[in-house]
Amino acid sequence: MPIPKLLQQQNPDGGWPYRRGGSWTEPTVYAVLALAGAGDSAEVERGLQWIRAGQRDDGGWAARPGVGESCWVTALAALLPAEWLGAESHRRATAWLSATTGMESTALFRIRQWLIGNQTPSETAPGWPWVPGNAAWVSPTALAILALDRENQLHPASGLAARIDAGRRFLTNRMCKGGGWNHGSTRALGYETGAYPETTGMALAALRGFRMWQTDQSLEVALRFLDQCRTADALNWLRLGLTAHGRMPEGYTPPSGITYRTVPEVATSILADRAVAGKSAFWI
Amino acid sequence: MGAIMTRRDWLAGSAAALVATGCARPVRPAQLETTIVRAPAYDQRLYDIVRRLIASQPLAVRGRSVVVKPNLVEFEPASAINTHPLLVHAACEAFRALGASQVTIAEGPGNRRDTLDLAEAAGYFQIIPGFEDCFVDLNVDEVTLVDLPQRFSKLKRVYLPNTVLGAALVVSMPKMKTHHWTGATLSMKNLFGVVPGGVYGWPKNVLHWAGIHESVADLHSVFPRQFTLVDGIVGMEGNGPIQGVPKPMGVLVAGADPLAVDATCCRLMRIDPMRIGYLRLVAGDPAAFDESNIRQTGEPIAALAQPFALIPQFRGLRLESGA
Repeated sequence: MPIPKLLQQQNPDGGWPYRRGGSWTEPTVYAVLALAGAGDSAEVERGLQWIRAGQRDDGGWAARPGVGESCWVTALAALLPAEWLGAESHRRATAWLSATTGMESTALFRIRQWLIGNQTPSETAPGWPWVPGNAAWVSPTALAILALDRENQLHPASGLAARIDAGRRFLTNRMCKGGGWNHGSTRALGYETGAYPETTGMALAALRGFRMWQTDQSLEVALRFLDQCRTADALNWLRLGLTAHGRMPEGYTPPSGITYRTVPEVATSILADRAVAGKSAFWI
Repeated sequence: MGAIMTRRDWLAGSAAALVATGCARPVRPAQLETTIVRAPAYDQRLYDIVRRLIASQPLAVRGRSVVVKPNLVEFEPASAINTHPLLVHAACEAFRALGASQVTIAEGPGNRRDTLDLAEAAGYFQIIPGFEDCFVDLNVDEVTLVDLPQRFSKLKRVYLPNTVLGAALVVSMPKMKTHHWTGATLSMKNLFGVVPGGVYGWPKNVLHWAGIHESVADLHSVFPRQFTLVDGIVGMEGNGPIQGVPKPMGVLVAGADPLAVDATCCRLMRIDPMRIGYLRLVAGDPAAFDESNIRQTGEPIAALAQPFALIPQFRGLRLESGA
C-alpha cells in the first residue's frame, strides 16, 4: 500500500517530511514523482506548488525552507518535467546544475594547491558536491547526471553533453577496486574503501548507456549486493541501476525483512517498480 | 617515530592557532574530573554499573530532558564500530531512574543515510524497547542556524538539530576508537553526528573542508558542558573508525568535561592527548592536559591502559612513558 502511505504523510503545506515533521525538498520531489505516475491528483499539484515556491533566486533549491543555500537537491527538482515545474524554472534549475562543480576541480583550488606545494590531483573531471564549496561525491554527481541527461535527451545541447560526459568520467574514475562505488574516494590514507549498494546503484543508473569494463564489473557487484540487500534505499537504487542496463533479474524476489520507513524509500520503491516495468522517471 | 612535541612547540602552535582563528582562549573550570569504571562485558551487569556511575556524577537530571547521542556508523553488528545498544539502554534507564522528564536517543550518521536500518542492524531495535518512538534521526530533524560561540575554522554559523539544541542535558556516548584522520575519536569528535546530513550531505563534507580538527573544536564550543559516557568495553584500534580491529578494554569513562574525558581516554589508549589537534585547539593551555589537573575517580589509568595499534601516519601520537 505504498501510495496511500505517501498520501497520508503529506504535510498541510503541500510538502513531505522524511518521516515526520517539516517538509524537505528531497522527499517532496520523490513523492511527487511517485504519485504523478499514478495519475493527476490534488496532492501532486500541492506538492508541485511547494516545490515551485522553494526555488531560490540563483535557480537552485535548498534542502528545506529556512536553509539559505542551494544544494544537491536541485538535481532532484530538475528531474521533474519542465511542463510540471514551469519551463523557465526548469531552465534555471538546469543552469544552476551546469554551473556547479566540486571545489577540487575548480581552477582556483588547483592553482592554490600548486602554490602551496601540494601535488595537483590527477582528477580533472568535474563532479557535483552535496553543497557548493565542497568536494564532489558520487551520489550528488549521479543525480545531477540523471537530471541533465534527461534534459539533454529532450533538448540536446553540446554544453550539457560535455558536462554529462565529464560527470560520467568522474564516476568511472571513482569506481572501487573490484567494482561498485563508495561515497567518493576509492582509497583513504592508502586503504581501499569498500563499495556500498546504494551508491553503486545510483552510479550505475547515471551510467546508463555507457558500456565499458567499469560498468560491466560494477553490474556484477550490484547483482551480488541485490542478494544480500538489507535496506530499502539500497534495494531501490540497485533495482534502478540494474534496470538502467537491462540487467535486473526476472522474477527477482527481495530478501524478507526490508522495511520502508521514510518517504524517499517508499516513493523510490514505486519509481523502481515503474522502471522495472519499462517506465522510468529518471530517464527517457 | 614522530617528533616529540616540546613545550616551545606547543606554545608556538597554540599562539599560531589563536592568531589564525582570532578566537579568545576557552575558559576552563579549575578542576576537571573523570571517572573510570571497569565493565567487563556487554551483559546485564552493565545496568547496575551504569546506574551507579551516573548517579555518582554531579548532574541535575530530575525533571529535565536528556538527549543521548551514541555513535552509529556502519552495518557491521559483529564489529566494534558502533556504540553498543546495551550500554545506550543502560544509560537511558539510569537517566529515567534519576527522574529525567524525557530521554531521547538521537544520532545523525555521517556515512550511511539509512539511519534506522543502521540502528536495527546494530541491535538497537532488539535491545531498546520502543526504540523507534524514542529515537530522532538528527540528519533530518528540524534545524536552527547557530552562530558558533568560538570560531576555530572558517565556519561562522552552522545548522544544528533542534532536538539537541533544546535538550537540557546532552550525553555524548562515543566508542573508544582510533580515527584515520584525527588520531582518536571520542566525545568531541562524536559531535560530528549532530550536524545534519539532510543539510550538508553524506558525508558532512563541509566539516572536512573547514578543517576536521577545527570543526570539532567549533562544535565543542556550542556544547562545552555535555556529559560524556565512553563505550570502552570493546574499542577499536588500527585503521578506525570503520576498518579497524576490535580492542577489548573493559572500561567506561565518564565526566562532564569532554576535554578531560577525551584526554583520559587517550591516556588509556596510550595516545598523547597533546598531539590530538582538536584537543590542543580546545584546551588553549597545555596545563589542561596535565594529569594533575584532572581529578581521577574510580580506577587508575595505569591499571587499565593498553596501547591501541596506530596506523603508520599516527605512530607519532604514541604516549611516551610517563608523559
